[in-house]
Amino acid sequence: MEIRGTQIVDTFAEAFGMRFVRLTVTAHDEYWLEAALREFTGYGSSVIACDAEVGVERRLSADQTPDGRPGASVLVFGFSREVLAQSVPNRTGQCLMTCPTTAVYDGLIGSAERIAVGKQIRFFGDGFQKSKLLFGRRYWRIPVMDGEFLVEDRVGVAKGVAGGNIVIQGRSLDDTLAAARRGTEAVDCLDDAITPFPAGVARSGSKVGSVYKQLKASTADAFCPTLRGRVASKLHDEAGYALEIVVDGASEAAVARAMASAIRAAAGEGVVAIGAGNYGGKLGKYHFHLHKLLA
Amino acid sequence: MALKLSYTGQTSIPVEIEGLTPDKVRGQSLAEIERFEIFHGNRKAALADFFDVSGEPGDGCFQLEGDLAGVHWIGAGMVEGQIRIEGHAGRHLGSEMRGGTIHCHGDAGGWAGAEMRGGLIHIHGSAGHLVGAAYRGSARGMTAGVILVDGDVGNELGHTMRRGLIAVGGACGDMVGFNMIAGNLYVLGSAGIRPGAGMRRGTIGLFGDEPPLLLTFRRGTTYQPLYLRLALLQLRQHGFAVDDQLLDASYVNYHGDFLEGGRGEIVVRA
Repeated sequence: MEIRGTQIVDTFAEAFGMRFVRLTVTAHDEYWLEAALREFTGYGSSVIACDAEVGVERRLSADQTPDGRPGASVLVFGFSREVLAQSVPNRTGQCLMTCPTTAVYDGLIGSAERIAVGKQIRFFGDGFQKSKLLFGRRYWRIPVMDGEFLVEDRVGVAKGVAGGNIVIQGRSLDDTLAAARRGTEAVDCLDDAITPFPAGVARSGSKVGSVYKQLKASTADAFCPTLRGRVASKLHDEAGYALEIVVDGASEAAVARAMASAIRAAAGEGVVAIGAGNYGGKLGKYHFHLHKLLA
Repeated sequence: MALKLSYTGQTSIPVEIEGLTPDKVRGQSLAEIERFEIFHGNRKAALADFFDVSGEPGDGCFQLEGDLAGVHWIGAGMVEGQIRIEGHAGRHLGSEMRGGTIHCHGDAGGWAGAEMRGGLIHIHGSAGHLVGAAYRGSARGMTAGVILVDGDVGNELGHTMRRGLIAVGGACGDMVGFNMIAGNLYVLGSAGIRPGAGMRRGTIGLFGDEPPLLLTFRRGTTYQPLYLRLALLQLRQHGFAVDDQLLDASYVNYHGDFLEGGRGEIVVRA
């Protein structure tokens, strides 16, 4: 299969079931919203070593947010509800409460499974915190130096899919970077999906395990161009560079849609092939066959 | 199609229909409903003595018509369903209700939503004294739910309320939030004397002319509270009129009543 001269490799991406929360973060203006999001999504690329995989799902206009201010919907993925119950309050407390003017609301209101966020962070208020129960939803007002940090008591948790991916293989670095940007920008337009790596792109694709026993993941040598000739390479013969776009989504369909969009956007001049990473189909429950996605 | 109850009474003696709620009559025939026992003063009567009963009782909706200002306890103790009143209602509208919604397209008497436990009452006219209050001798007033009054209300609004939200579009009388334990109480018009007297926790928002506050309240600061903006936007979503100016206004918060620990607050427009 080819798209605009780019070979689509007959392979599949292997993804995992995860839990996720959706937070609606608002701030006084775009500047402070951006500051909050940058902080909150930092160090949130992969659960290989981070506490969660985090990304901005979409920006929200003032009329789309609970408090009528500019905002964003943020997805946070973790392996379990228990993991999220630690990482989300920690990140909210350290990255959002600290940022001037922010507020945090639940973006999965209908979800029966829930974790405490404001309920936990409220103790920072040292007894001066106040709760507000408005139309069935409880919020905490924590006094801070610019007024109050408003945060929802609990947020919903839902089942999602993480680890959908494509591997873009290009002739030149510029072509490969440009293709990766096109791919992530295509995903940015979609709801229910995030690309948690830097600007949505990972250059350090990984495989499970290592020659070093203490490491649970190590470099995906089969996709490293400098190792061609030394390992069984999975790169196209003409590929000098490879970059990976990893997709986490609210559902299998959301990941599939995002991967297909990314492939269609990334393919083109200078991109010799687009493949995907998998573990032989033995680890992940979800298999996204590239040719089926594009059919 | 709702169960239609058209008031035909011609009496100055109070008519009390306590217990006649959508959840109670669901599954009953019209004939059974017509025999529902009500009070006319201190005498028992049948519902059909004062109301024409028609429509469908099975869908959980009541529609009441006529001048019901002398008909009391409408929707009291209601658990679910909807009641729509096309006109005035008497005292104790929706008192002790636990769920469902009541829309009164007229005025309501005193004690509306008294000791309410859940649900929503929207009075599109004005209401009397002691809305959402505790009955005399009770430890708590309203403990959950929402009461919206588009017009004015009388004295002791939210007396000893423990939780829930009351919003008044017009003015309120004296002693708003008296002995308030917690909850949210917003008055968009003017307020009478001694607001928040004895309040322990909770928020009273007084957005009309600033009333003289008791000396047991202390000024905090001038700011734009986000929770208030959130509450006002949610009120607007529920059909309660909120002026845009209120959303962007600055407010002054006062802590009090310090006779009761000072954990409550009164918020007024700056």
